[in-house]
Amino acid sequence: MASRSFDDWIEATARRLARTTSRRGFLGRLGAALLGAAAFPLLPVARARGEAPREPAPDDAALTGAAGDPTSCDYWRHCSIDGFLASCCGGTATSCPPGTEMSRVTWIGTCRHPVDGKDYIISYNDCCGNSYCGRCLCNRNEGDRPVYQPGKSNDINWCMGTETTAYNSTVAIVLGVATPSS
Amino acid sequence: MRLPRRLLVFALVAAASVALAAPARADDPRWQSLSLPAEPGPHWLWVGDELLHRTALVDADTGAFLGQVPGGRGIIAPSRSRDGREIYLPSTYYARGTRGERTDVVTILDATSLRTLGEVVIPPKRSEHTSWVAGSALSDDGRFLAVFNQTPASSLSIVDVAERRFAGEIETPGCGLVYAAGPRRFLSLCADGTALFVTLDERGGEASKTHGARFFDAAADPVTEKAVRHGDTWLFVSFDGFVHPVDVSGPEPRFGERWSLLDEAQRKEGWRIGGMQPFAVHGASGRLYALMHQGGVDTHKDPGTEVWVVDVAQHKRVQRIALRNPLASFVMEQIGAAPDGIAARGLGVALRLALPNPGVERIAVTQDAEPVLLAATSFPATLAVYDARSGKHLRDVKEPAIATMMLALP
Repeated sequence: MASRSFDDWIEATARRLARTTSRRGFLGRLGAALLGAAAFPLLPVARARGEAPREPAPDDAALTGAAGDPTSCDYWRHCSIDGFLASCCGGTATSCPPGTEMSRVTWIGTCRHPVDGKDYIISYNDCCGNSYCGRCLCNRNEGDRPVYQPGKSNDINWCMGTETTAYNSTVAIVLGVATPSS
Repeated sequence: MRLPRRLLVFALVAAASVALAAPARADDPRWQSLSLPAEPGPHWLWVGDELLHRTALVDADTGAFLGQVPGGRGIIAPSRSRDGREIYLPSTYYARGTRGERTDVVTILDATSLRTLGEVVIPPKRSEHTSWVAGSALSDDGRFLAVFNQTPASSLSIVDVAERRFAGEIETPGCGLVYAAGPRRFLSLCADGTALFVTLDERGGEASKTHGARFFDAAADPVTEKAVRHGDTWLFVSFDGFVHPVDVSGPEPRFGERWSLLDEAQRKEGWRIGGMQPFAVHGASGRLYALMHQGGVDTHKDPGTEVWVVDVAQHKRVQRIALRNPLASFVMEQIGAAPDGIAARGLGVALRLALPNPGVERIAVTQDAEPVLLAATSFPATLAVYDARSGKHLRDVKEPAIATMMLALP
């Protein structure tokens, strides 16, 4: 409960800050000061690239059937995916097809591994460029939230900050084990 | 001697070609492009297509395809000017199709000829989200079009459609989407369960920006962004089927008591709202049409197998419409079965029983005294027409799209 109260306080503070400040202005300047790069806004959404997983992704070899098949909508990591699977489009579950560029920001889902029973945080980065792949269209919505809660919304075209917003497909990268919120 | 003769032949052919290409008489419809009547038909419908990058106008009474407008990349949501003469279409284009310089515009089209009258360039930040709902909105006085941006920082691009100019960008931190909420006011939904109200000044700049009270629980039971407007009241429906009304008629928006689309018994049976465009309102009768399915938590976007008709004033379900299996309709269309033949009817029944029912993703209801309910799926694209009062299936519109993305009344 203590951690929930703290979480609530952080959330309330963050939202108050978000409401009362210009996020792009403030964080842009902060970003420029800290990193010397204000070109892209720093926002509280996932950034898979450059972040080492907190715990290695579980071994899929123990899985049988669709739950272990990265080209299936029922693959365990796809519990909140909305789009064409990169693994059906020339890429893999963790890398984009040739000629496309992985989105820098994205939405986050939490999927339970069917064998070890742990919840893992999954980053669903979009692959951008070269138009729609059109294969293996999946739409699963565990934990999906509306567009006004962008970090958890799979309805959004996350090809942002990329050379083009033309959507191609989506990957599902394990970021680490989810920490219980209470 | 031979050269002049050749020249003569060339001149004769050229003259004949010019004669063929010459405009026909104005009252002769041959050789001309058609125009639509000034008044849209009562059962006309825009059907967006994400793959064809267009939105098409169809007549649900005849199934006729009436015309289309191009929409560039992304989701296509036309707005009609208050006098009915123009259509405003926010669109995104890349110079090389899927790459090169990006240009976002609001295109202004003539509502009868469907030709482009002009365009206003807006910042290249327009949001793309799957449902299209609340991606842009025309102010209630018809003067300003607001386009929702997400980079992912959120803001509104304001276009003065009367003067054909970009009026400016208004930041909406922590909030998203856009709904018309007064003559010069827009509403956005916020991640903390409040609403943001942006009021414009005479030039389309920001006159005020205020937060309403928290009116829904964004963590436990958020409202879907797929809201519908009934008169001056927006009906925001939560994942669990609670309606949160917001009356935007006065200077101060009023947040009504929430009410439930379902009773306890229906909840126990697992009925839920779901779909990409799951709600429609028939204004005159005060009825809300909701796409419903049976499913568990996190099925808020699952297609519906039934439409429930609810009296908005009484908060009471008055009708239940079982939707036809759209997959069976698609197969019937592909094999070219005549809709009225006895054998085809038998085949239709057999297919509806044999094929799994994927459900319907989008609905719309026309606003006339004899309304029709329109029910669409994306892949494969189907569009079924029902009598909105009796629930009787009337017909299927053939080939409405390749990938249906949104329905809108003209």
